[in-house]
Amino acid sequence: MNKHHIQRYVFDAFNFSIIFAILFYGIFTHSSESLPDLKKSLLVLSGGLVLGTFLSYWGNKKGRRTLGETLFSSAEDTAVATDHSLLRSLWGFQLIVSFLVLLVAAGRQTEFSLIELLNKDGIASAANLFHELASPDWGLLPVAIVKVIETIFIAFLATVFALPVAFILSFFAAKNIMRGPTAFGVYGVLRTSLNVVRSVEPIIWAIIFAVWVGVGPFAGMLALMIQSIASLTKQYSEIIEGVSEGPIEGIVSTGANPIQTVWFGVVPQVILPFISFTIYRWDINVRMATIIGFAGGGGIGTILYQYSMRSQWNQVGCLIVVIAFVVWVLDILSAYIREALK
Amino acid sequence: MSKPILKVEKLTKRYPNGVLALQNVSFSVMPGEFLVIIGLSGSGKSTLLKSLNHLVEPTSGQILFGDKDITRSSTKDARETRQQMAMIFQQFNLIPRHTVLQNALTGRLGKTGTLKSIFGRFSKKDISDAYSFLELVGIRDKANIRADQLSGGQQQRVAIARALMQNPSVLLADEPVASLDPATCHVVMDYLKKVNRELGITVICNLHFLSLVRQYADRVIALKQGQIVFEGSPDQISAEWFRRIYGEDAREVEVE
Ligand SMILES: Nc1ncnc2c1ncn2[C@@H]1O[C@H](COP(=O)(O)OP(=O)(O)OP(=O)(O)O)[C@@H](O)[C@H]1O
Ligand SMILES: [Mg+2]
Repeated sequence: MNKHHIQRYVFDAFNFSIIFAILFYGIFTHSSESLPDLKKSLLVLSGGLVLGTFLSYWGNKKGRRTLGETLFSSAEDTAVATDHSLLRSLWGFQLIVSFLVLLVAAGRQTEFSLIELLNKDGIASAANLFHELASPDWGLLPVAIVKVIETIFIAFLATVFALPVAFILSFFAAKNIMRGPTAFGVYGVLRTSLNVVRSVEPIIWAIIFAVWVGVGPFAGMLALMIQSIASLTKQYSEIIEGVSEGPIEGIVSTGANPIQTVWFGVVPQVILPFISFTIYRWDINVRMATIIGFAGGGGIGTILYQYSMRSQWNQVGCLIVVIAFVVWVLDILSAYIREALK
Repeated sequence: MSKPILKVEKLTKRYPNGVLALQNVSFSVMPGEFLVIIGLSGSGKSTLLKSLNHLVEPTSGQILFGDKDITRSSTKDARETRQQMAMIFQQFNLIPRHTVLQNALTGRLGKTGTLKSIFGRFSKKDISDAYSFLELVGIRDKANIRADQLSGGQQQRVAIARALMQNPSVLLADEPVASLDPATCHVVMDYLKKVNRELGITVICNLHFLSLVRQYADRVIALKQGQIVFEGSPDQISAEWFRRIYGEDAREVEVE
């Protein structure tokens, strides 16, 4: 039994077990509120696994290729082509059934309903919403401008504070700088924690900081700052890992110490890409700051949230226009600066 | 007879991947000598030079620099050694975005405090020295131009000026003219010779072309697969030696 056989059994077993489980629940449970009995589910799933493995074995033995076999067999194995049509071959059948079953299950889960979508009252109220959005209440413009400036500054401050921290951390997160066992340990720990921080969405950070320092722009700024430190450090360190060795060797050969070597051998090579990534990060932060406002991070996002909760669509329309304008301008601006830096 | 400035005993280097780049290499270098090392690509020439200034740590053997055993040095001592043995490279290894003057000044990093150097606060003397060494290699008028805007030959002259800023007693040159055209090649070699003759700096230079060796070397060492196979004066390299060093099928090419 070689590697692709194992891959085939695993794939087919899980494939069957998922189909099996979905069919089982699709047929036997009706209310979506009732929570699955974990023990029973496990039983169904493992039953599916066993059945799948068996089918995989039996099908392939009879020369009817399963989906797992088709996916994982290597070029030589495939050389013996099967002349069955898609529908008549086992794997084609398996593929279509899996897809249909998943589609139906997904539809049920998302409560997909054409009746709701085409509901007359629903369409009418959506049309009304769009109608109101399309006639923004310009009376809100002064407030919107004040708030969008707040948002821009939240993003700006978050970027500015993140920059020096990320700059320093990035050298410790670059493989080519962190040579030797101790250094590599530091590198590993740092990389891992950065990945953890980055995998937590900024909106979650905003909630955490809203609890910590209170709802408002400060919480939003801190959330974006944390996110920016993690992202910038990663991007910076990847640039550092791409520098050419020549200038570094040249500086080392003069008898320079490690800090001087980094400053003269590495920094000049990375400074422009660093600036470019930082401006881009500010641009991203302005957009994120809007979303973070929803979770109590201050700025235009917070009032956008309030007005939409109160269904004041004329006001929301005004806010959306202002946000779109600012994002558009910043996008052009940052692209322009980054182009000039190349 | 004076004492050797460098004495290398049974130097061996095995890289972590198992390549034996140097085997039992022993030789001495006299003060003021222009020593040339030749050998095929991969024969260990670069490894030998880099072992001398601790860019590569030797596996075994001994290196005496003056009276000092520098084979196993602390990182601080290694930096001290590097200051006294300046190095230039085939690819020049300048900082591309910095000016010629700033590049020359980096030769003083070893003698400048970390903070001072980071803020670019080199002393007046450092700056005037930098100008005079740039003058010596004929490139003073380019002092405020970015290094990456110079031709290869000019960049190598900046590298020589940076090396001289270290006030070295030895200059290691790792194939300094291998990426230059034949005419520029002679300009750079002439400056190395000038440094050697006028400033009395000992030069150890890796070269590829035998015609250059005959023209510039006081003495020649040939490496083959990490071992010394020839040691003597340039005119002792007969056709037979040539074949022994470079292999049976090799033919000599001239650099005009
Ligand atoms: N960092 C390294 N790690 C592993 N092996 C290396 C390393 N550097 C060089 N080597 C190997 O050591 C041997 C000698 O290399 P070295 O660079 O000293 O030769 P060289 O004579 O300078 O050649 P060239 O003319 O190509 O510069 C080669 O086989 C090379 O592959
Ligand atoms: Mg070499």
